[in-house]
Amino acid sequence: MKEQKTTRGFLRGTPAAALSILVLLVLLVLSLLGAVTFGSTDIPIGDVYGVISQKLYHLLIGDGSWGSGSLFRAIWYIRLPRLILAMAIGAGLATCGVVMQAIVKNPLADPYVLGISSGASLGATAAILLGVGTVFGSNFVGVMAFLGAFVISLAVVGLANIGGRANSVKLLLAGTALSSVCSAFSSFIVYIAHDREGMQTVTYWMMGALGGATWETDLVVLLVVLAGIGFFLTQYRTLNLMLFGDETSITLGTDLHKWRQLYLLVSAAIVGFAVYAAGMIGFVGLVIPHVVRMFFGTDHKRLLPISALTGAIFLIWADVACRTIIPGQELPIGILTSMIGAPCFIYLMARKRYGFGGGD
Amino acid sequence: MRVEACDVQCVLNANRILKGVSMYASQREMVGLIGPNGSGKSTLLKCIYRILRPTGGAVKLDGRDLLACTTKESARALAVVAQHNYYNFDFSVQDVVLMGRAPHKRALDRDNAEDYRIVAQALETVGMTSFAQRSFSTLSGGEQQRVILARALAQQTPCLILDEPTNHLDIKYQLQLMDLVKGLERTVITAVHDLNIAAMYCDRLYALKDGKIVGQGTPRELLTPQLIRKVYEVDAEVYEDSHGILRVLYYPDGARKETVQ
Repeated sequence: MKEQKTTRGFLRGTPAAALSILVLLVLLVLSLLGAVTFGSTDIPIGDVYGVISQKLYHLLIGDGSWGSGSLFRAIWYIRLPRLILAMAIGAGLATCGVVMQAIVKNPLADPYVLGISSGASLGATAAILLGVGTVFGSNFVGVMAFLGAFVISLAVVGLANIGGRANSVKLLLAGTALSSVCSAFSSFIVYIAHDREGMQTVTYWMMGALGGATWETDLVVLLVVLAGIGFFLTQYRTLNLMLFGDETSITLGTDLHKWRQLYLLVSAAIVGFAVYAAGMIGFVGLVIPHVVRMFFGTDHKRLLPISALTGAIFLIWADVACRTIIPGQELPIGILTSMIGAPCFIYLMARKRYGFGGGD
Repeated sequence: MRVEACDVQCVLNANRILKGVSMYASQREMVGLIGPNGSGKSTLLKCIYRILRPTGGAVKLDGRDLLACTTKESARALAVVAQHNYYNFDFSVQDVVLMGRAPHKRALDRDNAEDYRIVAQALETVGMTSFAQRSFSTLSGGEQQRVILARALAQQTPCLILDEPTNHLDIKYQLQLMDLVKGLERTVITAVHDLNIAAMYCDRLYALKDGKIVGQGTPRELLTPQLIRKVYEVDAEVYEDSHGILRVLYYPDGARKETVQ
């Protein structure tokens, strides 16, 4: 009986984890190469790779101007930026999920469930339709999405801590409540703005879509996500301590309070820019860390990089599914991830006792 | 290391839990705190290991004010085995013990071979080597307690604080754990529920009642029927058994009077 239980997280050994990271990296590259062959227009696989390899060759020799024609544009300016964005956002959201679950010591936390995505949406809506925050420069929509995400994440934790320590129920309630508040205000702004074009942009954001990807936004999001992941990879020890709780952490030499605020800030940056680039994509941050924990255990040294890679691969293929599931039409990716993720969420809640990776 | 509490006062939710407690433990001394539930034992220990901030007085490590140390410094001086160690997660035993190395690490330090050696040694000391890869949450209460002790050992601190470490343990493991702690030759401050355990292992005892120290001394000096009556409000008999070990026996209400008279 006990023997059976120990098989949970059977890949938790360090060599197995290192090997898995390598395998996932290879899979990520293969996924990019594979996913780029799918699209609304039928382009022979040979042509796809031909265009990419020629462009890369021209970039390498310093001739950035090479490339023209509809075939080239479809691959280099539509398909690839979109895949890179899917990769960056998948990795970013999965990482944020891991971190938020540690911050609130609860495996049911994720940016979407905790209302942080809604906060980002509200910030972005206000920026697009009302022009709030133009002082922040050309990327002000991203900055406003980030600010919205950050304010709401603080508000959720603050609200959940009223009248005693935050527990899972209080966090979920606070997240749901603030999420509703943000949605209501977003809708209000949409209604009073009377801006047809703006409304379309907002609707597109609420459902989440990677179609608007350009190399410029890709670069910003990729940098923020990579910096965030790089930062959290150095923080695995403190993330582990968070699961032991405040008291134990102090006796082990770390006062968690300031780290929580910092991690929340970095997570909000990732979520904010993800929302800015692709709208609300729910449940990736919830489901991916859960699946990874089942195989690799809870140690953040392994959990973080593996979740990030898995999230990236997952979102690349989710995007492919969105483009091919209804012929001739594209499904917003937020709808797909929610249709997969929400039932998973219900299953996790309904389980008698959910923990960090099982042991029940 | 000498650990000292100087006139420590603590107010929690407007209740004065500690009303000026002074005590000390010298280098390699094993000091026990005894007293009924709610007497302030745990609160005093929490003030010493920094979870609670005393509202008056000070805790000193080798004469230095505890609050003047960084949390990393105090975690390198004091390791704690607390009362309740239930965690709702799935770390392996080795992961848990490895966290004991955290106070010796800076943010970018990796866990090195030396850390793993210290962890292996700590697990061996508590007899849990074969459990290293097991999931912590699947262990029994006693096994978990030993793993937490191993984590405290991996901290390599000169002082160990135990808050009723033998609660929920079988008799065999109670004795085993206390033998182990005694054999470490470190400064130990422990809250003890069981007076027989206190008598067997502690060099010196402090008796607490209502947030004040009402007696102190070696077990032989302190543990008298009068003191036990005063502190715990029960009748007891204290005697030395054939091995020279101090024993405390309790009597139900009324029974004592009949046997004495």
